[in-house]
Amino acid sequence: MKYSYMGKGVPRIDAFEKVTGTALYTGDLRFPGMLYTKLLKSPLGHARIVNIDTGEAEKLPGVRAVLIGKEAPYKFGIYMGDKTVLASGKVRHVGEPVAAVAADTEEIAERAVELIKVEYEELPGAFDVLKAMEDGAPLVHENMSEYRHAPFIYPKSGTNIANHFKLRKGDVERGFKEADVVIENEFYQPQVQNVQMETHTSIGQWLPNGQINIWTSAQSPFAVRHLLSVGLGVPLHKINVVVPYLGGGFGGKAGLHWEPLVVLLSKKAGGRPVRLVMTREEQFYTTAVRQGFYARIKTGAKRDGKITAGAFFYVWDAGAYADYGVNITRAAGYSCTGPYEIPHIKCDSLTVYTNHPYGTAYRGFGHPEFHFATERQMDLLARAIGMDPVEFRLKNAAVPGRITATGEKLREDAGRVDECIKAVVEAIGWGKKAPKEVNGKLRGKGIAALWKAPAMPSSTSSSAILKLNEDGSVTLSISSTEMGQGTPTGLAQMVADELQMPIEKVKVVTKRETDFSPYTWQTVASRGLFMEGNATLDAVRNLKEQVKTTAAELLGVPKKELEVAEERVFALGRPDKSIPLAKLATAGIFPDGRGIGGPVLGYGYYTAEGLTNLDPETGQGLPALMWTFGAQGAEVEVDPETGDVRVVKMASAFDIGRAINPLLLKGQVYGGIVQGIGSALMEEFIFDERGALLNKNLTDYKICRTQDIPEEMVFIPIENPQRNAPHGVRGIGEHPRISIEPAIANAIYDAAGIDLFEIPMNRERVWRALRKKGEKRAFA
Amino acid sequence: MPLPEFDYIRPKSVEELVSILAKHGSEAKLMAGGTDLLVLMRDRLVRPRYVVDIKGIGELQGLSWDEGRGLTIGAAVTLNEIIASEVIRERFGALWSAASELADPTVRNRATLVGNICNASPAADTAPALLVHNAEVEAVSAKGSRKIPIEDFFKGVKRTALGPDEFVKAVHLPNPPDGAKSWYLKWKRTWGEDLALVGVAGLVANSGKWIVRVALSSVAPTPVLVAEIQNAFEGGGTLEEKIEKAAASIPGGICPITDVRCNAEYRTHVAAILTKRVLRKLLGLG
Ligand SMILES: Cc1cc2nc3c(=O)[nH]c(=O)nc-3n(C[C@H](O)[C@H](O)[C@H](O)COP(=O)(O)OP(=O)(O)OC[C@H]3O[C@@H](n4cnc5c(N)ncnc54)[C@H](O)[C@@H]3O)c2cc1C
Repeated sequence: MKYSYMGKGVPRIDAFEKVTGTALYTGDLRFPGMLYTKLLKSPLGHARIVNIDTGEAEKLPGVRAVLIGKEAPYKFGIYMGDKTVLASGKVRHVGEPVAAVAADTEEIAERAVELIKVEYEELPGAFDVLKAMEDGAPLVHENMSEYRHAPFIYPKSGTNIANHFKLRKGDVERGFKEADVVIENEFYQPQVQNVQMETHTSIGQWLPNGQINIWTSAQSPFAVRHLLSVGLGVPLHKINVVVPYLGGGFGGKAGLHWEPLVVLLSKKAGGRPVRLVMTREEQFYTTAVRQGFYARIKTGAKRDGKITAGAFFYVWDAGAYADYGVNITRAAGYSCTGPYEIPHIKCDSLTVYTNHPYGTAYRGFGHPEFHFATERQMDLLARAIGMDPVEFRLKNAAVPGRITATGEKLREDAGRVDECIKAVVEAIGWGKKAPKEVNGKLRGKGIAALWKAPAMPSSTSSSAILKLNEDGSVTLSISSTEMGQGTPTGLAQMVADELQMPIEKVKVVTKRETDFSPYTWQTVASRGLFMEGNATLDAVRNLKEQVKTTAAELLGVPKKELEVAEERVFALGRPDKSIPLAKLATAGIFPDGRGIGGPVLGYGYYTAEGLTNLDPETGQGLPALMWTFGAQGAEVEVDPETGDVRVVKMASAFDIGRAINPLLLKGQVYGGIVQGIGSALMEEFIFDERGALLNKNLTDYKICRTQDIPEEMVFIPIENPQRNAPHGVRGIGEHPRISIEPAIANAIYDAAGIDLFEIPMNRERVWRALRKKGEKRAFA
Repeated sequence: MPLPEFDYIRPKSVEELVSILAKHGSEAKLMAGGTDLLVLMRDRLVRPRYVVDIKGIGELQGLSWDEGRGLTIGAAVTLNEIIASEVIRERFGALWSAASELADPTVRNRATLVGNICNASPAADTAPALLVHNAEVEAVSAKGSRKIPIEDFFKGVKRTALGPDEFVKAVHLPNPPDGAKSWYLKWKRTWGEDLALVGVAGLVANSGKWIVRVALSSVAPTPVLVAEIQNAFEGGGTLEEKIEKAAASIPGGICPITDVRCNAEYRTHVAAILTKRVLRKLLGLG
């Protein structure tokens, strides 16, 4: 084959635009008559709104619309209709918007916001997720039972529990009796932020004729359109959602966020376009964040290393609104074991409302949180039975043929966690003799495995349109958005390979626009290359079918003898029977001038296969289109005097099925590691006792900088192809970020002999643990 | 987020600056790099009517050194210019290392030494270096000019000895004693850019008699010089013992707070550790 792009490190097709700054993001857009928005935010965590006086603000010249919650009673929410765009009746977290102003300039909008007077009556708040579950805790949503919600969400009315996912497999009590050793531990992760470079940005316009136009930094244009339509009661065809490039999403821009607010402001301002750009502070405490997490895990094993039973109790601090949180609770629940076979399982995974900023999706969809707990527990249990943690993991690994928590028997082509573990063992030199102390710093190694499947509706689908242009080039339209992950480049490679044409002749449309673009469910769940890939291959097949049909007539050759390559349709071995694709793009022409066929537009789709709903009582069923398995290993250096932890080396292996583009793959893996190290060692929301976020800025919410990145990062792709995938690929977007925390925590134990159960493992926290251990030793 | 409204003035000479301050005094804020001022204005913590940009004044741009008078750093000299100076690197190691640890290279392209001390944050990285080097601040107003010893310059959190119509023209550092070495160590929450949880500058010289000075940032309302350190080196004992004694005097010389960045307890612990580390480094104890 002349053109072969599979497995090649093709540079990303959008590199030039992004490097030169010509790539357009929502914040770059300006429209005639556009207004600017500022928000008045709640200073209180839980309070009744007694009165709002907007009189002075409305009088300020240049103010075009002032909106308060009472005027916008529409309920939104992807799984639970619990949220209005502005607080109405009461505020549920510090930073929640109470009023919004659209004005000619940002300065005027800001001055107007200062003129709005709000009277509050403070209420007792739910600021601790475990206390929020107790009887008599202040209720964040008194009317939860009236909310519309998805059928697979199980709220408990009269409580703060927005979802209770249950999984029961085997007989967990019997399993614990069979065990020689049973251990139980608690783990904790704080709320964190996705910290995208681009903060949430939306422009909305609601014209007097009923047409709604939106330009927004959203991951999922069709989800925005759908949720807006349901929430506002506006027909879908009256809404057009445009998404240009995104400056990072990491889950935080999935679903619907501030689009309804700008649209409602526009309506009030007579249809002028209204723009909202979140400040960095608002990004932390007004818009969505990652949920907090608490786990209590009890596991039993036999001395020979076989795990007999696991009881998993997961509590998610959803903050004030459920958003994606309820589904994260579910996804973590059905994946609760991590990549191991456990015969007897009980899992309860609960979403709990609190008066914190509201939780949403974040790269890994709950998996980084619970894997910290399960992969720490694996090490602790291995130690308790006196077995090497790697051997212990391999013994219980969920390899093909074994049964998952939901009762799925893993197929032969399911991917191999054992190979990933072994690859990482090799890469970090696990078990090899190495000095324990280097220059006064303690060295150690740790390993953690992982798995994750996309969390999506059982019938989720994607589509693609491939247009043949008049010069023989092709243009691919998809609706999975580009936010750094590089999916369009991978798809261009697939198209070029399938059509056997140079990749330079394949264009992937950069803008997504619901009026024109083919449907896709969402750009989430590490599903893009798999789902849009299948849809794109289908579109290529369809395009080929169309050109062959016309060419067969023109060349007088049966269709089945025709091939497409090098921008031509031809019959093999018959050089006279050949026609350029360019000559077929708008219609074929017979020698006498008659036309045949028409403009060529390949269409393709893919719908997830074989997924089922889960049983409400036992959680049994088939939730996973594909599992991506992996393992990560860390080598750390701990400073015994200060508690500083330096990650010297990080090795990762994932069974990605097939590496379509190793260069972009590496980008995903390295980026995931850096993000994971940030939350392992430094990221955390710190609240005061009344729910105010004390570090809502990048001064005191630290993220990784270049100096914090490990000296060495190793990535080992494992390639056992997946049967139903395009070229065998599996999703990888989220996985590199999943098991960083437990790998580091396990390495810290190996280095310094301290067990950490709480994230982040910042310098002060590690120092305290070291000191406690020192005291114990002194008194022993 | 936009800045609140203000008038921008860019004087060309010191005289012009003096008269602007004499006229607008308390309504004006000087701007050097603006890396503190603009952040404070964005957060609405200060709302000056006039922002007076001093970067256009040639007289404030000088960085000079000679054997007799020592080092003079003008108010518009950036931290990156300080880092590029060979003399500072060789003779004023604490200042050089403090400048190198402050923020990140992009911020240091604008940020100035004088702006750092006039902002008077307890966490000002360059302040401990100026304290161990006995710096003097040259303040100017319509009434004339005066020299303020750096130890008298900081009056509290974000408060200095300057009057409303007064500004800093330059900072002078005398040549350090013969054979002196100095250095600054900063402890942060990460290895990347961060404000100091604790910063410690040390200066050590011995030509027959020990001169040992240690000053810290982020452990009191103002940067502090811990005088007891000198005593630790007066008596007998090995160097290691002197260092231990010096470190033991640190908790008594500071009063850190607990805040969002860390607990007072951790600050106290790290202050002593860094003191040992900086002294060991200066004394060549590996
Ligand atoms: C991202 C970031 C990171 C930072 N990290 C650090 C850090 O690690 N360590 C640290 O110490 N600081 C840090 N800072 C703060 C700041 O960069 C430094 O304090 C810097 O040295 C200030 O210098 P400047 O020239 O920008 O001051 P400006 O902002 O111009 O001025 C600061 C203050 O001094 C006044 N002023 C300026 N010049 C004079 C003068 N000649 N006479 C009288 N008053 C004057 C101004 O009116 C203002 O009140 C950081 C800032 C940012 C934005």
